[in-house]
Amino acid sequence: MYAVDSPASPARAQQTPPAPPAHRTRRRRNRSDNRVPWLLTLPTLLILVALLAYPLYRMVVLSFQNMRLRELITGLTPPWVGFDQYTKALGDGVFWGVVARTAAFTVVSVTISVLAGLSIALLMRRVHSKVRIFMMVAMMFVWALPQLVAAQAFRWLTDSDFGVVNYVLTKLGLDYANHSWFVNPWQGWAVITTLVVWAGIPFLAISLSAGLTQVPKELIEAATVDGASSWQALRNITLPILKPLLTIVTTLSVIWNFGLFTQNWALRDGHPEPVYQTLSTFSYTQAFGQSRYSYGSAIAVITVLLMFGVMVFYIRQMFKIGEVD
Amino acid sequence: MARHDEGVVTVGRSRIGTFFANTTGIVFGLLMLFPVYWVLNTAFKPTNEVQSFTPTFLPENPTLDNFKSALGEELFLPAMVNGLIITAMAVAAALVVGFLAALAIARFAFYGRKAIILVVLAVQLVPFLALLIPLFLMMQRAQLTNSLIGVALVYLVLLLPYTVWTLRGFISGIPRELDEAAMIDGCSRPQVFWRIILPLTGPGLVATSIYGFIQAWNEFIIINTLNSPQKQNLMAWLLYNQTERGTAWGPLMAGAIITSIPVVVFFLLIQRNIATGLTAGAVKG
Amino acid sequence: MKRKIAVAATLAATLFGAAACGGSDSNEGATSANATVDGKGKTIKVWLMVDAETAWKPVVEDATARFTAATGAQVNVEYQQWANHLTKLDATLAGSDVPDVVELGNTEFSKYVFNGGFAELNKGDFENSDTWLSGLSGACELDGKTYCVPYYAGARVLIYRKDLFEKAGVTEAPKTYADFLSTAEKLQTGNAADKKFSAVYMPGQYWYAAMSWVKSNGGEIAKKDGDKWVGQLSSPESQAGLQKWVDMTKKYSKADVTKNENEQAGIFAQGSGGMFYGNAWEQGVAEEVRKDPNDPNSPLVPTKVKGKLAAAPMPEIPSFLGGSNLGVTQKSANKELSAQWIKYFTDAKSMEGLIKASALPNSTALLDKAATENPKIAPAALSAKQSWFPPNAEKWADVEKGNVLQTMLTDILTGKKSVADGAKWADEQINATLNEA
Repeated sequence: MYAVDSPASPARAQQTPPAPPAHRTRRRRNRSDNRVPWLLTLPTLLILVALLAYPLYRMVVLSFQNMRLRELITGLTPPWVGFDQYTKALGDGVFWGVVARTAAFTVVSVTISVLAGLSIALLMRRVHSKVRIFMMVAMMFVWALPQLVAAQAFRWLTDSDFGVVNYVLTKLGLDYANHSWFVNPWQGWAVITTLVVWAGIPFLAISLSAGLTQVPKELIEAATVDGASSWQALRNITLPILKPLLTIVTTLSVIWNFGLFTQNWALRDGHPEPVYQTLSTFSYTQAFGQSRYSYGSAIAVITVLLMFGVMVFYIRQMFKIGEVD
Repeated sequence: MARHDEGVVTVGRSRIGTFFANTTGIVFGLLMLFPVYWVLNTAFKPTNEVQSFTPTFLPENPTLDNFKSALGEELFLPAMVNGLIITAMAVAAALVVGFLAALAIARFAFYGRKAIILVVLAVQLVPFLALLIPLFLMMQRAQLTNSLIGVALVYLVLLLPYTVWTLRGFISGIPRELDEAAMIDGCSRPQVFWRIILPLTGPGLVATSIYGFIQAWNEFIIINTLNSPQKQNLMAWLLYNQTERGTAWGPLMAGAIITSIPVVVFFLLIQRNIATGLTAGAVKG
Repeated sequence: MKRKIAVAATLAATLFGAAACGGSDSNEGATSANATVDGKGKTIKVWLMVDAETAWKPVVEDATARFTAATGAQVNVEYQQWANHLTKLDATLAGSDVPDVVELGNTEFSKYVFNGGFAELNKGDFENSDTWLSGLSGACELDGKTYCVPYYAGARVLIYRKDLFEKAGVTEAPKTYADFLSTAEKLQTGNAADKKFSAVYMPGQYWYAAMSWVKSNGGEIAKKDGDKWVGQLSSPESQAGLQKWVDMTKKYSKADVTKNENEQAGIFAQGSGGMFYGNAWEQGVAEEVRKDPNDPNSPLVPTKVKGKLAAAPMPEIPSFLGGSNLGVTQKSANKELSAQWIKYFTDAKSMEGLIKASALPNSTALLDKAATENPKIAPAALSAKQSWFPPNAEKWADVEKGNVLQTMLTDILTGKKSVADGAKWADEQINATLNEA
C-alpha cells in the first residue's frame, strides 16, 4: 500500500517519490530471468484461477441466459437470451436510479471520509502524545467493531422508539420524539453516510498519519521560516509527498463504498426500500429475492465494468508508480 | 526516522492553537467512542432496561445476563473456534502466498508483470455475492462444503489481492542497496529473500494481517451458505440469533462485544507493530 | 418465541421470499408415506426453522423417536434461521447433496412447488388432510396434486389494555368496527397527555394488517384473469379498504411509518399504547420478557403492562394466516422415508404438542380443540377461521420481497402519494412481477 519509499534512504529528504536511480540498472539485469518471478507469483495465480475462474465464467455465462428458480433447482439448461438482461437493465429507469444513487453516495462518502481522515491525521501531529494515544485507542476500538455489529449499533442509536439520538435531541428541546430517520431519504442517507464515514476513519486516519511521519519536519520548518503559511506548507510540501498514499487509500475507499451492502442492508432491517438500494443490494435482491439469477449476474457484471471504468484512472496511476519502482 | 514530535510543540504553533488541537482531538475520540460506549452500555443492561423510552446512560442494574445468554448457547463456542481456525488459516496462507507474489512484483521487472498487477487489482472489484451460487456448486463438487478448509480457501481469495498489493508496497520500501550489499557478501538470491527482505517486511506482514483478520473474521454470507449451522463462524452465529431475537438488543450487543474481542486482542498483540508497520518503515531510520 | 412466526412471515416477506405458479416436471407419481421401508442404516436430513428448536423441540424429538422405532432410520435435524434461509436453500437445491425434508413459510412454498423443487405426496397418507387449513395447504396444491404438508399456523387478533379500557368507560372488547373506532377515540382523548401514546399502535409497513382492512372491504390484492394476474388494489373496494386503514392509522397511531410489526409487542410493552393488532402470542411477549431471551426456561420479568392485557378477535377484519409447511425435496434419495417422518411430525399427537406450545394446528378440525385446551390461543383460533391468504401465484413471494406493499404504505402515510396513486403504482409493480415470464 505504501508506495512511498523507505525513510532510510538518505536521498529522500530532498527528493520526493521518484526513487533512486539504481533501479534502472537492476531492472535491466532482471529482465533476463523471467522464471523466478513467475515461479513466485505462481501460487497466487493458481489460487485465484482455481477458485475464481469457474465462478466468474459462470457469472458471465449466466448473465447471457435466463436462469430462474426452475432451471436452478432442476438443473435444466437455462435458455440463452444474448444481451437481453443487459438491455433490460440499461433500459430500466430503476436500475439507473440505483447507479446514480450508488455513485453519488460513493463520491460524497469518500470525499468526507478522506478529508476527515486527513484532518485527523494532521491533527494527530499537533496534539499532545497522550491525546494522540487516546485518539489511536478510540479508533482501534471502532476499527475492531465488525461491520455488521457497527451497523446494528447505528440502527439501535437511531431507532425511532428506543434510540438515544432521538432522546437526546428531544431533551435539547427539539421535537424528535418518535422521529423516524428513514422517512426522508436525505436523512436516511445521512445516517448511512455517517456510519460509513465513522467506520472508515480509523483506517484512513491511521494510514495517513503513518504516511505523514515520512514528511520531513525540516522541510516544513524551512518553508515556514521562509514565510509560507501552514496552508501553503500543507499544499506544496505535505500533500505532494502524501499523494501516492492518498491515491491508494482513496481508491480503496472508492472500491469499498461503491460496494456498499452491509450498512444499508442492516439499517433497513434486511429489506431496503427502493430509495435505499445500492448496486450491491440491488443485484442481490434481484438474484435471491426475485430469483432473477441471470439479471442479478448481469447487474454484477455491469457493476464490475463501471468500477473498472472508474479504476482506469487509478490503475494508470499505479502503473506510473510501478514504472518508478 | 526519529519520532521527534512526541508531545512537543512545534515551531510556529501557539499555545492556544495547541490547546484547541488537544480539545478537538479529545472531542473527536469521544465522538468516535460514543457508539462503542452505547453498545457496551446496552450489553450490561437487563432486558427490561434495554427497551425503554427513556434510555439511561449507565445501566441502573448492571447485569452479565446478556453475556451469559450469548455464551450459554450451544453453538457459540464452536462458532468462536471455527472462526478463529478459518481466520488463522486464511490470513496465514494469504501472507505466505502473497509475500512471494509481492516479492516478484516489487523486486523483478519481468514479462507479464503489468498483467499480474492488473489481475491483482481487478480481483478486488469482484462482487462475491454474485458468485455465491457458482462458488457453492464448485465447492460442493470438490467436497469442500460444510468444511472449514473450504471457507478458508474462499477467504484466502478474498484477502490475497489486498495482501499482495500491500506487501508489494512494503517490500519496495526496503532499499535495494541492502540486497546488493548482501549479494556482494555472498548471499544467494533466496538467501537475500529469506534473511534480509523477510525480516524487514515483518512489521508490514503484521500490518497487512490486520486487514486480513478483520475481513475474514467479519464475513458471514459465504460461510452461512456453504456450511451447516454447526460449522458457522461468530458473525454468522450473530446473524443466526439476531433474527430469532427480533428486538432482543441486549444479547445482540453482548454477542457483538464478544465477537469484537478477538479483534481487539489481536490489535493489542500487534499494537506496537501497527504504528511501525503502517509507517511502511520496514527499516528504522 | 412465538415471535418467530411473525418473523417467519415477515422475513419471508422481506429478506428472501418465494411464491408459486407453473407446473412440476416430475411424473413419477406421488410418494407414499405408508410404504414399508427398511430404513436401517439410513439417515434423513431435515431442515426446520429455529421456531421448532426454541418453542417445541420435544415435539420434534418425540416424532423422530416414533419414526425411528417404525423404520429404523435416523434423523439429522438442522435448525435454520429465517434471515438467510432461501439463499441457502437456492444454492443447496442447485447442488446434489440436498436436505430430504424442508420447512418453508407458507407464502414461500408455492414458488418452489411450481418450479419442481418438491416431490408429489399422497395427500391421504397424512392425518387430517381433508381438513387442512386452506391458507396453508393452498401453497401445496398444484394441478390437483399435493407437494407439501401444512405444519402449523398463526393468526392475528386485537390485543388491548384492560385498564385503559376501564378508565375510558369501555367494558368489553369491541364487537364491531365502529365500536373499535369509538374505543380508539376514547382512549386517544383520555391519554392525550402522553406524547407517545397511540390509541392503536400500527407500524406503517405492517402490510398484513393493511391488506386485512382491504379484504374486510371486499377488496383484493390481485386476481387471476385467464392466465394473467391483475393487481386489484386500485379497485374501488380495495381503495376504500386502504383508505379506512390509512385514516385509522393516521389518526390513532404514532408508530414509525417505516417500521414493520416485528417489534410491536416490545414497543407496546412501554405502556404508551391502547390496542394493537398482532399474533396471539404477542400478548405474552408484551406482558413479560424472558430474563434471558434465548433461554425458554429462564424466569419471566414483568413489563409495565403485565396483567393489563387481553385479546379478542379483531371485529370485521379477517386475519392473514401465516405459518409453515413441510415438503420432501425432489432430489431427495429417501423420499418415502422422508414422507413418513413428515407423517409422524404432523399427526394428531404432534399437533397436540404444538397446541401446548401455543402454535395453531394445521387443521380446522383441531382449531376448536386448540381453543379449549389452550385459552391463550383461543382468540387466534377463532380468527384463523376467518382468515385470508395472499394470491396463490407463483411469483407472489417476489412481490413480498420487492417491498411493493410496504413501500406503498409508507408513501401513502407520509403523504408522498395519495391512496389512489399508491394503489396504482403497486398494481403496476404487482402486474409486472406476477406476470413476468
